[in-house]
Amino acid sequence: MNKHAGLFNKMPISIEQRESRLGWKLIAPSLGVIGLLIIYPILYNIYLSFFDVKLTGEKFFIGLANYEKLLQDTAFYGSVLTTIIFLIGTVVGSTLIGLLVALLMNLQFPFRNVARAIILLPYFAPIISVVFGWQFIFDPVNGIYNHVMVEVLHVTDQRHNLIGDPHTALLVVIIFDIWRHFPISCLLIISKLQSINRDQYEAAAIDGCGPLGRFFHVTLPEIYFVLGTLVILRLIWNINKFEDVFLLAPNVQTLPIFTYYAAFTGIIDQGFAATISVVQFLFLSFLIYFYVKKVLKW
Amino acid sequence: MASVTLKNIYKSFGYVEVLHNINLEVDEGAFVVLVGPSGCGKSTTLRLIAGLEDATEGEVLINKRVVNLIEPQHRNIAMVFQNYALYPHKNVRENIIFGLKRAKAPKDLINRRLERVSRILELEDLLDRKPAQLSGGQRQRVAMGRAIVRDADVFLFDEPLSNLDAKLRHQMRSEIRRIHREYKTTSIYVTHDQVEAMTLGDKVVVMRDGFIEQHGSPMEIYLKPNNIFVATFIGAPSMNMLDATLFPGFVELEGQKLMLTKRINENDIPLPKEGKKLKLGIRPDFFLDEDIVGKETHLAIIRNAHIDIIEPLGFDRELDVQVGNQALKARLDLRTMAKEGETINLCFDMERAHFFDVGTEKRLSIH
Repeated sequence: MNKHAGLFNKMPISIEQRESRLGWKLIAPSLGVIGLLIIYPILYNIYLSFFDVKLTGEKFFIGLANYEKLLQDTAFYGSVLTTIIFLIGTVVGSTLIGLLVALLMNLQFPFRNVARAIILLPYFAPIISVVFGWQFIFDPVNGIYNHVMVEVLHVTDQRHNLIGDPHTALLVVIIFDIWRHFPISCLLIISKLQSINRDQYEAAAIDGCGPLGRFFHVTLPEIYFVLGTLVILRLIWNINKFEDVFLLAPNVQTLPIFTYYAAFTGIIDQGFAATISVVQFLFLSFLIYFYVKKVLKW
Repeated sequence: MASVTLKNIYKSFGYVEVLHNINLEVDEGAFVVLVGPSGCGKSTTLRLIAGLEDATEGEVLINKRVVNLIEPQHRNIAMVFQNYALYPHKNVRENIIFGLKRAKAPKDLINRRLERVSRILELEDLLDRKPAQLSGGQRQRVAMGRAIVRDADVFLFDEPLSNLDAKLRHQMRSEIRRIHREYKTTSIYVTHDQVEAMTLGDKVVVMRDGFIEQHGSPMEIYLKPNNIFVATFIGAPSMNMLDATLFPGFVELEGQKLMLTKRINENDIPLPKEGKKLKLGIRPDFFLDEDIVGKETHLAIIRNAHIDIIEPLGFDRELDVQVGNQALKARLDLRTMAKEGETINLCFDMERAHFFDVGTEKRLSIH
């Protein structure tokens, strides 16, 4: 037996092991950054939610008092309801409209590529400029919406401040968000639609499917997971959505905005604000867990 | 079962005309094979019958009814695609019965048919698998099952075996024959493989560049090809085409006189004094080794052919030989003692040879 054999046998590293070590080394920096910028704030936020934080920076441990206060706050339930309506409206709306436009854009017609590029504009445009545009559209005095409704079509003889009124503002915000984000749904769905083999449709036609049958038996199963991914992405984005809502209609209090008011305006209560974000975080985590298990079947 | 007729069909894609005046009759219960090199229009012809393409001009009839304006889903046809086009999200069972379910067939009928088809195609153990979990041959059988499970008027096959390996292809070929014998459904089969065409079809239609070059029974096409294209396309290895000169009693090939069995009727084929230049076509399979058959007077003999290469194929030996300046192939049986580098005298029956006009490439009827 070779004397040196033992030396080499001591550390038998297979190729897979070597690769996995390299993998860990490569992702270590990003893990560090994620830990520092995301995990630490989350943990600190949870920690803060058990304290009464004074403006001076002093902290007093108060246990679950913040949570008690939150659960007794009727404005919080209003905000949860607003958030749910906002989520359902925007996610369903932008996915359906994205799907519809994607199906249209997948047909052959002249200047299709130009049309596809134009479709993306709402998503590219800077948020602040489109928000001002939309506010101008619904302006009660000079806005084109009221002009058309009252003076041109005579649908009503009263001018409405749709954005100023909290009841209708939510609807405007939902429509705005759908308009702004359907292009991303459309883009992802088109890319999947293009990869569906034409003979799948031909086989379905020969099996007796009309256009609707072909959609449900060929297109839909193919894009199911794209739709699923879109919905989860949009859920995550929109549950935390701040600027679109706040800039267009600050009176629509979805959870992020409710938290913002609690944390940074009026009687500033950072412990309470932290509590709201913890609840929001738990809600989102539960939603995503359920969704990933049931819909995406991971 | 139904008949299929194509009447004066023209088809253009944009400015390119790909089918020129196609006329085709497929009788009830017949098995017709469209064969030709890729781009000859055979698949387009099939897709016109399926309704997946519209004819630019002309009529498509199924069961003597013009179907040009009828969508594929209402033509009651079944089709097997080249890459099978199975539904990836449905398992084998659902793939097979999908058409029946769409047609709202009663449950017990669906079950009976499914059972029969899966028995015939040996799919019983695979019914719960998804297409991705099947091998190529299994997918092919599912695609077949999906077609035959329905009571379709016509089966259309678009190169269904071209993605299989040689052994499976052979096996499925017999399977398709067996299925056709059992179901007797009118079938139209597209392939570029002349072996499939010969073995499967009651009738073979040879196409090139959007034209039908010849149609007839496989043996008709093999033994009496209309022109040089059909002669060389059908049969493997393909027919030798040799430059030769025709005289009243014989044909001259590289200075050798090969005697004809009949005198040429000069009213049919005018022969100038210096003879008529033409192409002499002989299939490699029709050659015999003179050393084996002995001197038989009725056979024509090509003497002193120089053997370049011998490929032993088991029972057969394929010889690449050189006669003067021309190369030809001969397929002899294993009794031949010929060796590479030597010469051989090749006999053939002049009745089996063909003469083709150099200009029109059409076959001259001498026999």
